[in-house]
Amino acid sequence: MKGRGFGLREALLSLALAIALAFFLAPVAWMLITAVKPPGEWLTSPPVFWPSHFYWRNFSEALIRWNGLKGLVDSFIVATLSTLLSVLVGIFAAYALARYRTGGENLSFTILSILFMPSVAVGIPMYIFWRRLGLLDSFSALIFQYTVFNVPFVSWVLKSFFEDLNPALEESALANGATRWQAFVDIALPLARPGIIAVALLSFIFSWNEFFFAVILTRARVTTLPVILPTLMEGHDIRWGSIAAMATVAAAPVVLIAFILQRYLVRGLSFGTIHERD
Amino acid sequence: MTAPAFNAPAGWPTRRAVPGRRFGWLLVTPALAMFAANCIFPLVYAVLISFQHYQMLIPVPPRFAGLANYVAIFSDPLFWSSLKVTLWFLAGVIFLQFPAGFALALLLDRLPKRADLAATVLLIPTIIAPSVVAFQWIQLYNYQFGPINFLLGLAGIARPTWTGSPSLALPSLMVVDFWEWTPFIMLLLLAGLRALPTDIIEAARVDGSSAWQVTLRMRLPLLRPVIGIAAVLRVLMSFKLFDIIYVLTAGGPGAATENLAYFTYIQAFRYFNLGYASALAILQLILVIVLAKALLALTRQSGRQVLPA
Repeated sequence: MKGRGFGLREALLSLALAIALAFFLAPVAWMLITAVKPPGEWLTSPPVFWPSHFYWRNFSEALIRWNGLKGLVDSFIVATLSTLLSVLVGIFAAYALARYRTGGENLSFTILSILFMPSVAVGIPMYIFWRRLGLLDSFSALIFQYTVFNVPFVSWVLKSFFEDLNPALEESALANGATRWQAFVDIALPLARPGIIAVALLSFIFSWNEFFFAVILTRARVTTLPVILPTLMEGHDIRWGSIAAMATVAAAPVVLIAFILQRYLVRGLSFGTIHERD
Repeated sequence: MTAPAFNAPAGWPTRRAVPGRRFGWLLVTPALAMFAANCIFPLVYAVLISFQHYQMLIPVPPRFAGLANYVAIFSDPLFWSSLKVTLWFLAGVIFLQFPAGFALALLLDRLPKRADLAATVLLIPTIIAPSVVAFQWIQLYNYQFGPINFLLGLAGIARPTWTGSPSLALPSLMVVDFWEWTPFIMLLLLAGLRALPTDIIEAARVDGSSAWQVTLRMRLPLLRPVIGIAAVLRVLMSFKLFDIIYVLTAGGPGAATENLAYFTYIQAFRYFNLGYASALAILQLILVIVLAKALLALTRQSGRQVLPA
C-alpha cells in the first residue's frame, strides 16, 4: 500500500486540511479585517474584503470610548484571581484523592458531579444569595462563582497527574523523617508541574470567556469583556470596527497562551482522561 | 531504613486502611466546602423554591405551591418547544459534530508532520470567548452587508435572512455551535487515536486489511472510551448552551431558538418567576443526569484497558 500513489494521496489530504482550515479560520479572519477597516468600509455592498488602509483608531475607540480597557482589567482580575484560588484549593484535594484515596471513588465522583449542574440551576439560588448579601455586581461574587466551578475540574485533572507519579520518592522522604506536608509540597508538587500548568491554563480560559454568570451577577461596576461585547451591538449607530477591535482584544490573550502552552491543552480539555504518548 | 512513619511500599496504592487519613481529609476540606457552596446549597434551595410561588417583582411573600410549578411546565407550550430546540442542538452534536470531528481527527492523524500546529490552529473557535464567536457570526450572517449573502448573490441564489428567519434561525445557530465545538471533539479523538496500541493495528495491517477496514473495525471500537468521554462532555455543554443564543438571536424569532437553558433564564431573570424557573432547572438537572449516566454506562461497557491510564 505505502509508496504507491503516495504523492496524490498526500496532496488530497493536504487539500482537505486546507479546506478545513479555511472554514474554521474564515470567521476569525473576517473579524480581524473588520477591526482595521476605516468607518466607511464597515457596511458596504459588496463588502470590502481588504481595507483601503489600516485604521487603528478602532482599537483606541474600543478601549477608551467603549470601556474596553476597564473590561480588560476586570477580566484579568477575575480570571487571574479565580485561577489562583481554584488551583490552590484543587491541588490539595487532588493530592488527597490520589495519594490518600480520601473518601474513595465516591468522593471523587461527587466532586466531579458539579459538572452535571445546569448553570441555571446554580444561577437562580446563587443570584438570590448574592443579592441578599448585597454583593451583586461585585468582584467577590464573580471570582467565587468561577472558583467553585473550576475547583472540581482542577481536582479531577490533577488527580490523574498525581496518580501517574511514582509514590516511591515521597515514601522515602517520609521514611527519612519528612512530614506528610513536606512530602507533598517539596516532592510531589514540583513533579506535578505539567499538570498544574494544564489546569491553570484551562481555568484561566474558562474564567476569561465565561458568559452566563457574568450576565446574571454583574451590571456596571464589574464588566468583563464577554458581556461588554453584546451591549455594543444594540442601537442604531453600531460601530462595527470598534466592536471587532474589542472582540480581537478579548480573543487575543487566550489564543496566545493556547499557542504557547499547546502541549498542555489535550490533557486538560479531556479532564485528564486522555494520556498522550510522548 | 529505620522504622518508617508509615509502612511504606505497600502503603498508597491499595485500598487497605491508609495511613494519613486525617491529613487527606484536611486537604480535601476546602474543596468540599466549595462543593457544598456551589452544589448542595443551590440544589436544596432550588428544590425548595420550585415548590413555591416565588415572584421577585411583586411584593407578595413566596408561598407554598406544592407541585403547581411542575404541573404548569407540562402544559406550557413554550416548555415543549424549548425542549425540542434543546434536542435539535443535541442532535447536531451527535450527528454532525462527532462525524466531522472524527473525520478531522483521522485527517490530522494521517498528516503527522502538520498535525500539532494544525490542531492548535483549528482549536481557535473552541478557546475564544463564545460572545466573540457570536459577534463574528453576526457579521457573517448580516443580511445586507455580510460576506455569506454577498457570495450567494454572486451565485444568483436568493439571500436568506439567516438568524431572522423562523425556519433558518435554528439551523444557523447549529452551524455556529458546529463551528465552535467540532474542533474540540477533533482534539479529543485525535489524542485518543494516538494513544491506541500500535501493535494490534499493525498486525491487522500485515494481515492485509485495508486502511478503511482497520479504521472502522478496530480503531473505532477501540476509541469507544474516548468517544464516551467526549460525548458526555459535549452533551452536558450542549444542554447548557446559552451564550450564542443570547447574543445572536435572543431566542427569536418568536421562540424559534429558545432552548431549555434560555427559556429558564428568561423566566428567572426577565420575568423573575423564580419558582417556575427553579422547577424548570430541576427538570433539566434530572434530564442531564439520566443522559450522562446512560452515556457513561456505554463507555464503561467497553472496558478501560484500551487507554493506558
